[in-house]
Amino acid sequence: MSLRRFLPGLLVLCLGAVLARGVESVAGINHLLVAIAAGVVLANTVGVPDRLAPGIGTHKLWLGAGIVLMGASLTLETILEVGGVVLAIVIGVPAATLVAVELLSRTVAGLSDRLGSLLAAGSSVCGVSAIVAVAGAIHAREHQIAYAAATILLFDAVTIVVYPIVGELLSLSDVAFGVWAGVSMFSTGPVVAVGFAYSEAAGQWATMTKLARNALIGLVVVAYASYYARSGTDTSEFSPRVLWDEFPKFVLGFLGLVALSSVGVFSSGQQASLENAYSWLFVLAFVGLGTEIRLAELRSTGAMPVLVVLTALVFASGLSLAAVTAFV
Amino acid sequence: MSFDRWRVGLAAVYSRWRALERDWQSVAVGAAIVVATVALEIRVPW
Repeated sequence: MSLRRFLPGLLVLCLGAVLARGVESVAGINHLLVAIAAGVVLANTVGVPDRLAPGIGTHKLWLGAGIVLMGASLTLETILEVGGVVLAIVIGVPAATLVAVELLSRTVAGLSDRLGSLLAAGSSVCGVSAIVAVAGAIHAREHQIAYAAATILLFDAVTIVVYPIVGELLSLSDVAFGVWAGVSMFSTGPVVAVGFAYSEAAGQWATMTKLARNALIGLVVVAYASYYARSGTDTSEFSPRVLWDEFPKFVLGFLGLVALSSVGVFSSGQQASLENAYSWLFVLAFVGLGTEIRLAELRSTGAMPVLVVLTALVFASGLSLAAVTAFV
Repeated sequence: MSFDRWRVGLAAVYSRWRALERDWQSVAVGAAIVVATVALEIRVPW
């Protein structure tokens, strides 16, 4: 049965997770960061053997399942407390970042339209997933996708280290840090890791904010598909189904559990168990996430895309930090 | 006989699983854990 193909890699994820917990209890270093570091070390020293690749490749499945379960520890009341302000930030900051990157890449950096659009989508909405989704809609070339994805991954690696340090230096509250990371960092995995490394509450807010931001991907894909079709540079045909296809469906599972939790379906013991379950799923996911950070590939990114995305990050980070400290 | 039925059943479940999009697989894993925790009262340690 082909299920067996997954077992060696899954075993490695489990061993990495247990190792990360062990290091935390001995050295006091956050287990999520240890899990990512373990993955990075594995991928960049001995490499990921073919036998392990299928199992390790399941890490996004565990991240999604962990996010679904996180819904059980939240209630609508908690979310609505600062939900309106956060929603405005979640829509405003990515929109401003997208426009800024488009302008910068076309007028100042002189990048091609499609590469600029991929960088804009990746840095404003949801990292590599947004790049892949938009690339399909605008028929971007292979090398443009690889270039944009490598640039975003480079900053994922940088922000995992920098954000917790800046958060501590600025003594941000849990909610402020979570929303800041959720709105301005690029990919979902690093946002969840950094949030939970800061605190449990920061992790929950970082994840919720990032999920809301990810939900914008359908609109961004539709907007780009329409723009390139109208500008005559593309013949992509747009259908409203794209909105549904690009929507991250695990958000529905998350919302379902938030609803059940809000009406008091879970006892405190059950909630504690579900929190433990998602914590384990996150550690598993982050060992796998670490294996995707290939230092050699990151070194191959070009200077100009890196400068454009760095500017986007500083812009989004500064704007969201100002909004979060003023209103949250 | 009964072993064969189990095997056929498992193969059907696996085939359904593979047909699911990854996001829905995540929802299925989450749902399975919720059922195990709530209905079967399984405690997950940390």
